[in-house]
Amino acid sequence: MTLFDLVLRNMKKNVKHYYLYFFALIFSVALYFVFASLQFDTTVAERTALSGSMTSGFKAANILLIIIAGIFIIYANSIFLTRRSKEIGLYQLIGLTKNAVAKMLIIENVLLSFGALIVGILTGTVVSRLFLLLLLKVVGIQETVQLQFSMDALKSTLLVFTIIIVITSIQMIRKVYKKTLIQLFKADQATEIVKEPKGIIAAILAMSGIGLIVFGYWLSGHMLNQFLLLNMLLVLFATIFGSYLIFRVSIGWLLGRIRRMKKGHMSLKDSLSIAPLMHRMKGNAQSLTIITTLSAMAMTMIAISYSLFYSNEEVTRQLLPNDFQFSEETSAFIGSIEQLKQFEERLTAEQIDYERAAVHAYPIELSLKEAEVNEMVREDLTAHVVSTEDLRYLGYDWNDDYTALHYSMLYWAFKDTKMPVDVELSDGEKLIIHEFSGDNIFNLTSFEANLVVSPEQYERLKRYQSGEESPVRYAISIPNKQLEEAQRIFEEVVEDEVLRHSTYYEKYQSMRQSSGLMIFIAGFLGLVFLISTGSILYFKQMTEAEQEKQSYKTLRQLGFSTQELLSGIRRKQLFVFGLPLLIGLLHSWFAVQSANIIFMTDVTIPTLIAMAVYSLIYLSFAVLTMGYYKQVVKQSM
Amino acid sequence: MTEAIVLQSTNVRKVYGTRQNMQEVLKGIDLKVREGEFVGIMGPSGAGKTTLLNVLATIDRASEGSIRIAGTEIATMRDRELSTFRREQLGFIFQDYNLLDTLTAKENILLPISLSKVSKQEAESRFKNIADILGITDLANQYPHQLSGGQKQRTAAARALINNPSMIFADEPTGALDSKSASSLLETLERVNRENEVTIMMVTHDPLASSYCSRVVFLRDGQIYSELYRGEETRQQFFQEILKVQAMLGGETVDSI
Repeated sequence: MTLFDLVLRNMKKNVKHYYLYFFALIFSVALYFVFASLQFDTTVAERTALSGSMTSGFKAANILLIIIAGIFIIYANSIFLTRRSKEIGLYQLIGLTKNAVAKMLIIENVLLSFGALIVGILTGTVVSRLFLLLLLKVVGIQETVQLQFSMDALKSTLLVFTIIIVITSIQMIRKVYKKTLIQLFKADQATEIVKEPKGIIAAILAMSGIGLIVFGYWLSGHMLNQFLLLNMLLVLFATIFGSYLIFRVSIGWLLGRIRRMKKGHMSLKDSLSIAPLMHRMKGNAQSLTIITTLSAMAMTMIAISYSLFYSNEEVTRQLLPNDFQFSEETSAFIGSIEQLKQFEERLTAEQIDYERAAVHAYPIELSLKEAEVNEMVREDLTAHVVSTEDLRYLGYDWNDDYTALHYSMLYWAFKDTKMPVDVELSDGEKLIIHEFSGDNIFNLTSFEANLVVSPEQYERLKRYQSGEESPVRYAISIPNKQLEEAQRIFEEVVEDEVLRHSTYYEKYQSMRQSSGLMIFIAGFLGLVFLISTGSILYFKQMTEAEQEKQSYKTLRQLGFSTQELLSGIRRKQLFVFGLPLLIGLLHSWFAVQSANIIFMTDVTIPTLIAMAVYSLIYLSFAVLTMGYYKQVVKQSM
Repeated sequence: MTEAIVLQSTNVRKVYGTRQNMQEVLKGIDLKVREGEFVGIMGPSGAGKTTLLNVLATIDRASEGSIRIAGTEIATMRDRELSTFRREQLGFIFQDYNLLDTLTAKENILLPISLSKVSKQEAESRFKNIADILGITDLANQYPHQLSGGQKQRTAAARALINNPSMIFADEPTGALDSKSASSLLETLERVNRENEVTIMMVTHDPLASSYCSRVVFLRDGQIYSELYRGEETRQQFFQEILKVQAMLGGETVDSI
């Protein structure tokens, strides 16, 4: 039997352990290839307004992909090597030289990895069209585009994964040459020496793990000052190191306390969950921290991009409440009266329904110097008063004294103000403001503050008018499904490039494209993160299950049924999978909250949806490991 | 010998392998064990000692025949019932201890009654009592890796005793122990057998170990070859007799101690 035969036999035997790894590898390669193809391909970019952001987006995604694939492959490889320690030792024991054993492992590795590489690239080539269609769909383009096979993408994929294969081969060489036979034979042995975290130091460490995370969360909500970058680094350090301490010390310490309270009277469930968890926390701390961090990153990424995607329409409407806007006084966002006439004629001619509203406004001076608002905005302010009578078409309709100040530019500063607030009019009279809003009343006149009041109030406040009445602004509203046509007509009427593309419809389309691209990238990257972290946990649990086999046998001989054992194991798995997920969820929740300022809408719902989907897929790995445990327990006796 | 019969096997057979390649390991074993007996099972390698023990102890199933333990027919029981039966009625001691590494000695010992309705106080007092008999009270909070082989086997013996079993099955309990720990453990088992009237069945290939028994059953080729009762003999005399039978049986060389 040649060395090569041995390699083939080995691979055949290990196929059960490898298939998930192989799948994850293929998935990473395929996705890398697809992203690289999209990065090098210009046909898509040309059809969207995204050429710049698209290339850089895919580039960044690819770098992240390399990092995560690298961590995953190297980590999985080290798990496999530990599992196979005995086998490696045995070959040496029966007389194979270290050289031959190393050679054998490397041939195996190269065959497996290059196999995955080839399959991955082929899959990537096949599915890249699908990806393209999906990408076009999320960015809202209906054209069909051909994607060429990209040599650049091929080269870059081969290069990246060859480097990773070289690294894993070096890992193998080290394993064979640096470890003595006795180390190899003992590496696989059941549990590490049991050491309960005890005493005052453990208690302090356990507490500081929790403390660090709480501090990190707190800081994440108070980052917005001149030390922003430092704060961000601190938050990262506190949460990651805090998670590590939690896994390394806190959990074991807490479980140890619970256990000591039982004074030796442990239930079977406890024996199968608390005890092994406690003793494996030390060895698992590192991997659980990695998994927590990766999960948190992925979920944050997905939640943020999904939130942007989700709130597109709302956000665009906040900026551009009117479909089209015209006035005597034109600007980058406002067409002329002449254009309005032409536009209306054309709309009528083409039988497009529309509604025209004329909005009046006059300026008054408000003083916020004494008002109980954020210090940064305690200044004088010119606001343009608008009556709800004019704004019915936007849904504003009230007759009482309710007063809303719309000021999108400084809305962030008003966000946390306690309502209502008294402000001063020019003669010292008080005016009660009931609401601050970030919604614009006119298209992108974000520098203009608007005071929305009832018609009666509108008349009453006229005596404070501080300047000329603004020219009447005409807002044209079009039913949604006819917006695209209306936009076409608008572009025929208007020649100015900037004005043409400053309509609600155009802005919405470009927002949709960029956030669509983001969700596309984040979604697939998240999936890679998910599969990698899930697989790492699965491999770890597979190894653990094998190591525990003797315990299961003993327990069954002592008269515990498979079901009883499995219910204990289920609880252990709940911890193993649930803890990183839970902490990861918390991390990403606070991360999204701290990124809140980039959103103008409430992102709770999209964040929760993104997290729920992620958790669901993640937990399917837990189900997978339970299946494996079931098998092990059943076969143990 | 008027005591009740704890275990009775009738025509127990065990066949391994496929229809084409059948191997009959047990060829009809009839055996009665009375309450309070300490039965040793001896025989050369491949005689079916461990198979017999596993079958009688409900860990393995007989291909044919009837086995009654404490009045219950176990050959026809379903897996789930068997598990419960094992947990409540039987105790086990294995050659390689089979303690759970992640549990302390006390936790290991109390494990078999963790699912039963024994109250905590009752469990505690049983533990104290048994740990006292076996001399492992001080080791309660140690983990298996901190214990010597003899201490581990005592812990395992305590675990076997905790549920007041009808019977204890021991498979080569001294196989991994040095001679001093071995005789110390055997003396303890003998004492437990005598004073607490616990019925014990022990498989061993060591004549010295089986000389602690009250009866030794010799197996050869899946059948009972002969039986020896210790009666009023001293252990030394009984040991000599066992040696003689073993010499006749052949196969295995006598371990010198």
